[in-house]
Amino acid sequence: MTIEETLAKLEEITQRLESEDVGLEEAIALFDEGLTLATTIKAQLEEAKLKVEQVIEKTKGTFSLEPLDLS
Amino acid sequence: MNQERVYTVSELNRSAKDALEGTFGEIWVTGEVSELKRAASGHIYFTLKDADSELSAVRFRGRTLAFAAHFIEQGTVVLAFGKLTVYEPRGRYQFVASILQPVGAGALQAAIERLKARLHEEGLFDPSHRKPLPRFPRRIGVITSATGAAFRDVRSVLERRWPLAHLLLFPSSVQGENAPAELVASLDAAIRYSASGGDLDLLIIGRGGGSAEDLAAFSDETLVRAISACPIPVVSAVGHEIDAALSDFVADLRAPTPASAAELAAPDIGELATTLDRLVARGTRVLSLKLAARWEQLRANLRESLFRLPERRVETLWQRLDVAVDRLARATSQTVSDRTRRLEHATDLLRLSDPGLPLRRGYSLTTLLGSTEPIRDAAELVEGTRIETRLAKGRLHSSVEEVIGE
Repeated sequence: MTIEETLAKLEEITQRLESEDVGLEEAIALFDEGLTLATTIKAQLEEAKLKVEQVIEKTKGTFSLEPLDLS
Repeated sequence: MNQERVYTVSELNRSAKDALEGTFGEIWVTGEVSELKRAASGHIYFTLKDADSELSAVRFRGRTLAFAAHFIEQGTVVLAFGKLTVYEPRGRYQFVASILQPVGAGALQAAIERLKARLHEEGLFDPSHRKPLPRFPRRIGVITSATGAAFRDVRSVLERRWPLAHLLLFPSSVQGENAPAELVASLDAAIRYSASGGDLDLLIIGRGGGSAEDLAAFSDETLVRAISACPIPVVSAVGHEIDAALSDFVADLRAPTPASAAELAAPDIGELATTLDRLVARGTRVLSLKLAARWEQLRANLRESLFRLPERRVETLWQRLDVAVDRLARATSQTVSDRTRRLEHATDLLRLSDPGLPLRRGYSLTTLLGSTEPIRDAAELVEGTRIETRLAKGRLHSSVEEVIGE
């Protein structure tokens, strides 16, 4: 799932959770699901490190990713 | 020249060439361009003229030359630097320009304005062509120079704001004669790379600030059309204060500098974390309310207790659950695993203290009809006694037929 999709799902879960007709058992299941989604993204955010490469077209249609000289 | 000698045509033309080049050296000449012809080879043939006279001229491809030459058109008054020479095969004398630039402030701008008007007329700048930018771009292509400040700026902004990104540079020169063609080629490479599995979410094309002439590459007609046709959302980021590059008008978003392009195109990781925290806090709050409501209901049930728990045990349960629910409600700043553990604890307590649970599991409760006191021993009853049996759902009224002791 992309971050967009995960966030949309989490928003949907939260809204459902807030509706009156959701009983406790369903609420707990929803909360668990939402928490797992949030935790997944948070973990990605904490570990994130920008990747930087340059794309070189070796021959027409053949691309190679190369590290970028930082100097 | 030797008046006794008979020259061949080639010899004469060569001598004339040497004489012309030797006499004039490298010079500046000004005139109006006419009979402009851009050959497929990349050479530009033209005639320079004034009111009374004409001079044929050529600008060969590959010479270092101000980029502004791309904006020279029929009628443009130019300043040309080069040498006067003879084209030997034709015996024609001509001017070979190495520098060719429009004369007068604004000549370049005027050419760009004319192009702009033409593209506008064509509908290329219509805002309805603009594609929405992705909210969370992961793979971001950047078309600029590998050594310029532009890429460094984009990179440092993303390092700080959006390190989830994978930044992919498609190197291109961003000024000089070859810049437009290289920019177009890199844009084309980025589009093909994306289509063949590279999956780019976004492209940033640009450079830092510079002179109007330096920035003119981003107003090149071929490049502007290529950006307009690009299937990937494009942010145009050409550093400038006053004059806009035409790439700005066809891109899906224009930014005044490469750094601001990165700011505008990528979200902030801190804001995303806050959004997530808020959603979890909302969930926690509503769940705490639901837990508290259930607890209230249980208390009421316990008061009429079907299974009388010892008073002390009930007190302890209440207290522990109250604490758990209370903490859960205030736990928004705590770690997720803490919260989950508390939630599990609270729900376990709820389950354990729910008097309905044994009934739901299939046990039933027998009382004398009209009593709430459970019967624990068959010997308390005799044949014919009216009893009530409570099930998870509903009750039964019956008479005892036979009493079987242990």
